[in-house]
Amino acid sequence: MQFKPSRTFTRLLGSAAVAALVPLAAQAQETKTITSWDLRSDTTTAGIVRDAMDRFEEANPGYVVEDSHFANDAYKTKLKIAFGANEPPCIFASWGGGPLKEYVDSDQVVDLTPYLDANPEFKDRFVPASFGPVTFNDKIYGLPAENTAVAVIFYNTEIFDELDLTPPETWDELMNVINVLNENNIAPFALANKNKWPGSMYFVLLADRIGGPEAFRKAAAREEGGSFEDPVFIEAGERLQELVEADAFARGYNGLDYDVGGSRRLLYADRAAMELMGSWEMATIRNENPEFAEKVDFFTFPSVPDGKGDPSNVVGTLGDNYVSISSACPYKDKAFELLTYLTNDDAAAARLADQRVMPLKGITTEDPFLNKVLEVVGEAGSVQLWYDQELPPALGEVHKDTVQQLFGLSITPEEAAAEMEQAAQAEAQQ
Amino acid sequence: MSTAITRTAADRQRQRKKWVLAQRAAPFVFMTPAVIFLAVYLLYPLVSSFRLSFVNWNGLGDTAVFVGLDNWVRLLHDGVFWHSAWNNILLALFSIVIQLPIALVLAVVLDEASKGSRILKILYFIPLLMSSVALGVLFKNIYDPNFGPINSILDAMGLYGWAHDWLGDPRYALGSVIAVVLWQNIPFYMVLFLAGLASFPREITEAARLDGASQTTIFWRLKLPHLQGTFRTAVLLATIGSMRYFDLIYVMTEGGPENASQVMASYMYKQVFASFELGYGTTVAAAMFIIITVIAAVAFRLSKRFETEV
Repeated sequence: MQFKPSRTFTRLLGSAAVAALVPLAAQAQETKTITSWDLRSDTTTAGIVRDAMDRFEEANPGYVVEDSHFANDAYKTKLKIAFGANEPPCIFASWGGGPLKEYVDSDQVVDLTPYLDANPEFKDRFVPASFGPVTFNDKIYGLPAENTAVAVIFYNTEIFDELDLTPPETWDELMNVINVLNENNIAPFALANKNKWPGSMYFVLLADRIGGPEAFRKAAAREEGGSFEDPVFIEAGERLQELVEADAFARGYNGLDYDVGGSRRLLYADRAAMELMGSWEMATIRNENPEFAEKVDFFTFPSVPDGKGDPSNVVGTLGDNYVSISSACPYKDKAFELLTYLTNDDAAAARLADQRVMPLKGITTEDPFLNKVLEVVGEAGSVQLWYDQELPPALGEVHKDTVQQLFGLSITPEEAAAEMEQAAQAEAQQ
Repeated sequence: MSTAITRTAADRQRQRKKWVLAQRAAPFVFMTPAVIFLAVYLLYPLVSSFRLSFVNWNGLGDTAVFVGLDNWVRLLHDGVFWHSAWNNILLALFSIVIQLPIALVLAVVLDEASKGSRILKILYFIPLLMSSVALGVLFKNIYDPNFGPINSILDAMGLYGWAHDWLGDPRYALGSVIAVVLWQNIPFYMVLFLAGLASFPREITEAARLDGASQTTIFWRLKLPHLQGTFRTAVLLATIGSMRYFDLIYVMTEGGPENASQVMASYMYKQVFASFELGYGTTVAAAMFIIITVIAAVAFRLSKRFETEV
C-alpha cells in the first residue's frame, strides 16, 4: 500500500524527466540554429554570405544558419526593436560607431578580442585601421566583412571631355567646373538628400579638408578645446552654402530619395555630371546601367584654400559592414567560427568578384576601378567614419538635420554649429 | 406532504435566486475575456508608455534613468513637436473641408447613376486598395522635379513658373503630401456615404420627383439631412485619423525636408528609432494620446450639440 503513491510519484518524476530530456535530446541530435541578420538585400551579395554559411554548415554538422536580409532603413529599425525586446539575432551586421556602441553599452554584444587573440593569424590579415569603428575601450566588437567604402566624386568622362574639363584638385578649380557645367545647362552634382546622409558627406569632407580629422575627433570626444562651434565647422557650412548658391546641385536635391535612384537617374540622363558618393556606387551603376558605367570615373574631393586637412584624407569606412555577435546568442563560440567563415579568404575572393574589397592586407585585383579605390585608401593620411555613424544616434540625427537645413539655406552656418554644440553638450550630460 | 411542498417551494425560490444571481453575473462573466484583452493590450501599454515618458532610455538593456518631468518640459519647448502637431491639425482641417465634400458628391452621383456605376465604384475605390508604401513610391516619382510628369506637363504647357520642387522645398512639401493623403482616403468616406445613402428610401426620392422637386432640392432638403449621422461619424473619423497619420508621409518625405511635413507620429518614430531616445519618443506618443483624446472629446461633444439643435 505504501508503494502506491510513491509509484505514481516515480512515474510522475520519470515522465517529467523524459519531458525535460526530449528537447535536449532533440537538440543534441538535430539542429542548433544560428540566426543571422544583415542588409545584403540584393541576391548577389546575399548569395556570397549564404555560400560562406553553407561552408560553415558543412564543416559543423548539427548547426544550421538561418539568414535574413533586409533593406537599409528597415534593417536599422528592425535591429533596434529586436535588441530592445532582448531577442536579437545571433550574429548581425552594422556600421560600428555610435549606434553599435549603444548596444555594447547595454551589454548586448560579445567582446571578440579574446577570440581574435586566440587566432592572431586570422586577425592580422585585416588592415588595423579597419577595426577603428568597432573598438570601444580597447575591445573589438565586430569584424569588417563587406567592403572598403570611401566617398569619392564620380563623374561622367564624356561630358568632361566634351567641355574640355579636367577633374578639379582645388576649390577654385571645382568652382570653375561648376560654372562651366551650369553654362552648358548641365547640373554639376546629382544629390538625393531626402535621406540626409548623402548631403552629410559634403559637410564631413569639407570639415576634414578645412581642419583635418582632429577638429571632429576633439569635438565628438568632448576633449578640452573641442567644440562643434569650432571655426572649422562654421567654414564647412559656409563652403557648403557657397556650393548651393553657385547652383552646384540639380533641382530638388533635398527631396530626392537615394534608395529609389533619385540621384543616379540624373547621371544616366546626362542631366548631371558628378555625384559625391561612397565607392559602392560603382557596383550599383554597373548593375543598373552597365553601358553608362563605361564612361564613369572618379576623383577625390578637392583641397580647400588654407585648409589644414591633408587632401589625401578619406571619409568612409574600411569594413562596410561589420559583423558582430549578440550576447543573447546561445552558441557564441560557434558563432565566432561562423564569423571567420564570413570573413575568410574565400569570402573575400567572392566579394572581390562582386567588385567589393574587404579591408585585407595585400589584397590585389585586376579591376582598374577597385585598384584606384585601393590606391586612394592606401595613400590616405586618415579615414574618417561617416559622422552620422560615428556620433551617438541622437547627435547624428541633429548633424543630419542641420546639414539638410544648410543645404536648404534656411539656417546660417553659425546657427547650425550652435545647434550641434548644444546637442553635444546635452548628450554629454546624460 | 406539506413539508415536501414547502421544500419544493423553497427549492424553487432558491433556484430563482440562483437564476437571478446568474443573470446578474452573466454580463461580467461574458465581459471578462474582453476586459482581460483590453487590460493586457490597451491599458497596460498605455500606462507603461506614460511611465516611460518619465525616463531617459535608449530602449536597450537596463539603462533607463528616471528624470521626472524633464521629457515633458522638453516637449513643451520643442518647436518641432508643436510644428508637427500643427501639421496634423492642418491635415484634419483639409480632410474635413476638401476630402469629405468630394467623397459626398461622388457618393451621391454614384448612388444616382445606377448604370455603369459599379465600374466607377470599383475605379474610385482603387486608391484605398493600394498599400501606402506603393502609393508613396508612385507619388515620389510623379512629384520628381526633374523627371516627374507634373513638372514635365507644366513645362510642356509653358508654365515654367509653376513647376516646383514639390517634395524637396519646405514651402510645398506639406501641401504635396496632404494632397496625396486626401486623394488616397476619399474612397473610404465615399463608401461610408454610399452606405448611408443605401438606407435612404427610394420611394421618397420618387415621390419628391413626382412633386416636381429638382435634383438639387432633393439633395439639399432630403439626402443631406438623412446623411447627418454619417457625416458626423466621417468628421470624427477624419479628425482622429489625421491626428495619427503616418505611413504615406513617412515613405514620401520622412517628415522632411527640414521637418516641413513632419507630423506627430513621424516625429515620434524619428525620436525612438533614429535617435534612440525611447523615453522622449514615448513622451511624444503620450502627448499625442492626450491631444487626440481632447480633440476627439470636443468633436464628439460638438456633434452631439449639433444633433440636438437640428
